Amino acid sequence: MRIRLTLGLTDRPGTLLKALEKIAMNGGNIISIIHSREALTGGYVPVSLSVEFPSHENFERAKMGIEESGIPVLSAESLERRIETVLIIGDLSVDRLERLFEGRGEIISLVFGGGKGSPYVRVMFSVSSEDRETLLSSLEELAERNNCLLVCEEA
Amino acid sequence: MIRCGIIGYGFLGRRLAKHLTGYRERGLKLTLLANSKGYLHVEDGLDIEGLMEEISTHPGFRASHPMEAIENGLADLLIVLTPTNVYNGEPGLTYIREALGRGIDVVTADKGPLVIAFRELTSLARSMGASLCYEATVGGGIPVFSLARHSLRGDRILSIRGILNGTTNYILTRMHFEGLTLDLALQEAQMMGLAERDPGLDLGGIDSACKVVILANALLGLDKKLEDVKVKGITQVTPDAILAAKELGMTIKLVGSVGDGKLSVAPRLVRLNHPLCVHGTLNAIQFKMEVMGDLTLIGRGAGESTVSALLSDIEWIISQRTSPREGH
Repeated sequence: MRIRLTLGLTDRPGTLLKALEKIAMNGGNIISIIHSREALTGGYVPVSLSVEFPSHENFERAKMGIEESGIPVLSAESLERRIETVLIIGDLSVDRLERLFEGRGEIISLVFGGGKGSPYVRVMFSVSSEDRETLLSSLEELAERNNCLLVCEEA
Repeated sequence: MIRCGIIGYGFLGRRLAKHLTGYRERGLKLTLLANSKGYLHVEDGLDIEGLMEEISTHPGFRASHPMEAIENGLADLLIVLTPTNVYNGEPGLTYIREALGRGIDVVTADKGPLVIAFRELTSLARSMGASLCYEATVGGGIPVFSLARHSLRGDRILSIRGILNGTTNYILTRMHFEGLTLDLALQEAQMMGLAERDPGLDLGGIDSACKVVILANALLGLDKKLEDVKVKGITQVTPDAILAAKELGMTIKLVGSVGDGKLSVAPRLVRLNHPLCVHGTLNAIQFKMEVMGDLTLIGRGAGESTVSALLSDIEWIISQRTSPREGH
């Protein structure tokens, strides 16, 4: 599972290394590190790490280890992508729909059906956990503006 | 001996009265029956077997406002089975308010008063030392509230979701399995007595929304009203859309949910092997618990099963009369 961890590091040599050790000890594979020196607040430099962990338990243990070594974990969010399906019942143009997904999700399949009498669009897409809510809200707005009904998938 | 009265003598009232026949030895007698036209009162207990379907033609029927019976203290336990009005809670709200204010225990299947004034009524009951029981308002015979408050009280409910309306579930089931249009499935439901002549509250998701409000207030400690629920009904659902869901091993169900302080009712795509994917008039309610995880209850959501919920509440009140009170 891929996690974005934001740590609050004091601007002293070796602090980041301590956090990286805890991640490595728990099987974490670091994909990227972003230092936000310009965002220094309260004596901390926020450092954002994207890490691939073998399991949720590994992530939890790494997080606990980092906190125990005195480094605050400012946030932790899943970057996993999930595949979902929605139905939009009503008449909707493909252009509008495709534009809405740009930069937020990838359309896997798009099925227009039902004919003129009862049109629908079935969209299967992949989306990251962090973009999911925004994408679904935008889909809902689009559906409402076009007098359509958005039917989302129940987890 | 507990003197029990029923206000609202329709299908449910008649079924319940029959079940109360054997309760005299248990310390409960039915002394009062009331409808919108008046009431029938026999202090020694009504002869339930000999009761007519229409009580207003019964000898001894008093053509007077049913409130008179409450004011005159003709019952210790009032079963309120009035027709539901989700917009003002009446007439049930006034009866319940009056009864609780006099310390009379109340059991109800009427959602309206609870949707309008849940906090007011539960506070009133507490201050007067009376019980207010409403197991029959959500999920028919499924023991939602008693299970949550007794068996699950060591755990914490994080969220609740479910199929809360039997009529829409029947319609969507017929559309899924037989490819019927919504209109045709609705007509069928009406012919079978499963849908009201005016099915607007069911199809529009309002009935489900009322149940979501009661669940939120009773089990999650919230203070929500009907206008706090984001509601979408099933009127736009087409057989083609259901077929499109079916092609992916899913169907469309009307799901009510409350979690993170948000209340909603909307048609949702549900996998055919999902625990909430129940068919026909069945209801399903799923609790997400902090320790236990998911717990799903399935049962008949209307008709005779609702009588079972009323009897459960009545049993509770009998037990409270014979032992110290605790919250229900």
